[in-house]
Amino acid sequence: MSNDPDRVWPAGLNLREAEKVRSCLIDGTRVFGVIALIAHLLVAVSTPWLG
Amino acid sequence: MTNARMWLVVKPTVGIPLFLSAVAVGSFAMHVAVLGNTSWVADFLSGKKLGSGTASAELILDQDQAAKAAYVLPSGSQEVLIRMPDGTTARAILQMPEAMASLNQVFRARAHPGPRAVTSLRKARLSSGGRVLPVCGAGCRTRHAVLRKGPSPMFDCKRFALGRIASFGTRYMPFADVASEAVPLARLLRLSLFQMTVGMALVLMVGTLNRVMTAELKVPATLLAAMLALPLVFAPFRALIGFRSDAFRSALGLRRLPCIWKGTMLQFGGFAIMPFALLVLSGYGEAIDAPRWLGLSAAALAFLLVGAGVHMVQTVGLALAMDLVPVVDQPKVVGLMYVMLPVGMIISAFAYGALLETYTPGRLIQVIQGSAVVTIAVNGCAMWKQEARNRSRATAPPPDVGFLEAWARLAARRGMIRLLAVIGLGTAGFGMAGVLLEPFGGQVLAMTVAQTTRLTVVLAFGSLIGFGHASRWLGRGGRPMDVVCLGAGIGMPAFGLVLASALVLSAPVLVGATLMAGFGAGLFGHGTLTATMRAAPREQIGLSLGAWGAVQATAAGLAIAVGGVIRDVVLAAPLAGATPASPCVPVFCA
Repeated sequence: MSNDPDRVWPAGLNLREAEKVRSCLIDGTRVFGVIALIAHLLVAVSTPWLG
Repeated sequence: MTNARMWLVVKPTVGIPLFLSAVAVGSFAMHVAVLGNTSWVADFLSGKKLGSGTASAELILDQDQAAKAAYVLPSGSQEVLIRMPDGTTARAILQMPEAMASLNQVFRARAHPGPRAVTSLRKARLSSGGRVLPVCGAGCRTRHAVLRKGPSPMFDCKRFALGRIASFGTRYMPFADVASEAVPLARLLRLSLFQMTVGMALVLMVGTLNRVMTAELKVPATLLAAMLALPLVFAPFRALIGFRSDAFRSALGLRRLPCIWKGTMLQFGGFAIMPFALLVLSGYGEAIDAPRWLGLSAAALAFLLVGAGVHMVQTVGLALAMDLVPVVDQPKVVGLMYVMLPVGMIISAFAYGALLETYTPGRLIQVIQGSAVVTIAVNGCAMWKQEARNRSRATAPPPDVGFLEAWARLAARRGMIRLLAVIGLGTAGFGMAGVLLEPFGGQVLAMTVAQTTRLTVVLAFGSLIGFGHASRWLGRGGRPMDVVCLGAGIGMPAFGLVLASALVLSAPVLVGATLMAGFGAGLFGHGTLTATMRAAPREQIGLSLGAWGAVQATAAGLAIAVGGVIRDVVLAAPLAGATPASPCVPVFCA
């Protein structure tokens, strides 16, 4: 694949923009994961889940 | 870097919704599977003692004492009385499976035409108002299409109603004139949905959770007040949020949408952990042994997240709306956006009232986490394709002006500090008096809870009228400060009338005064917002909107607290000749 950072690919993005999309997704997944972790911790404390 | 190349061939508008949908469906399916195989969930959700419902029923069935009986059902259904071992009785309905399959008879009749088929078809036609229902199986589609193509003997109500609405014109339809070819009304209405989620969050926190935490979860009043005040901590940061959205340089060339998305995620996160945080805070169920700090910190985090998200979404969403329209149309768009806030509050208040009519911990979890999902979905719909990608903005060098310098420049503009002071004092005045209207009606005029609740609705309705009129005047070239003065000029006599209603003991006078106060508040709010926007250059519109929001939200929050304190201090002071109206007099006079 070409490494030209300014080339616009079929999805309408160039390489820099594609990296930004990926970093946004990764950051969003991390935030979502932390939220889910806290929520599951509170569920474990307030219900008989996990014994 | 290699993984990022996927987005060179997969369009983000397709890939990201697909990714999010897969996560949502996968996690939902996994939770359904887990919850379906546990015995305590039904009891927990219905608020019963764990083990009293499903588990106890299973316990009886496992033993040999379970009653067994054989019974021949003659025909149709029959009700039987069952006497329980403890002497109580229960009724059960025995029903043949065939009785439930009457609809299937229609299908069979179509397959074997005869007298019975004609009867079924005639019945279907009658029940559908002259049209054949598309449930008749093969061959029905053709008949259905033929009937629809023929001249309808019925009066076309839909066409008539649409024609009447279209002929109504923009004169009586509020905000219809805000639309243009570049920005149609449907797009603006879709964008304004973010205000509805903000209204939903406000109603949930200030109204519904306020009541649930007090009455059902028995959270101490001081702790409750502290939790509900936490979102106000972020109010002064609205100016910073606005500035960041002005200066944001995304590689995708977007500047407002990433900020709105982050705010939406914060709101979602807060709502996602809030119900369990509140259950732990109140020591419900297994959480009775949980450390105190856990409930406190989790609840505080939930309220902080929602508060930060609300401030972020509202500030940047409004800035995005201003970006979309020319300066001359901005007052109308401000009016539209701020009308959608009380609309969202009213709709969500009714919805929460209906959903939480019978409170259970399970219902609380469903309602709050449902709000999280609705927030993501509605804000996603509001944001969708609202901001175009701009490669020149993405490659432009970042601005060399920091927040403090930008703030200093904004504050140095002629009349800006004075304007912000007017916003603070005016909002505090309206807010301080507004929060005492309901207690005033109850204690002085002996109005019922339902009647005083309607006072708040009248106040909100007055604000809506005020926003609408302010939009019209400003859109026709009126000066914002004239509208501000008019709003304050109407508000002051309105609060005088509130006091006069105590002298004549007249509830209608109080209602009229409340409507006037709401109208004045609407004019004042819209006028100050437009004046702040116009006082700033277009590239700093986020900062100016943030400054308005910071001053307005902080002043409103402090005013509510100060109004309550003044009332309590006057109530506690032993004054000669004090009346039930005395505690409210200093506030309404202020």
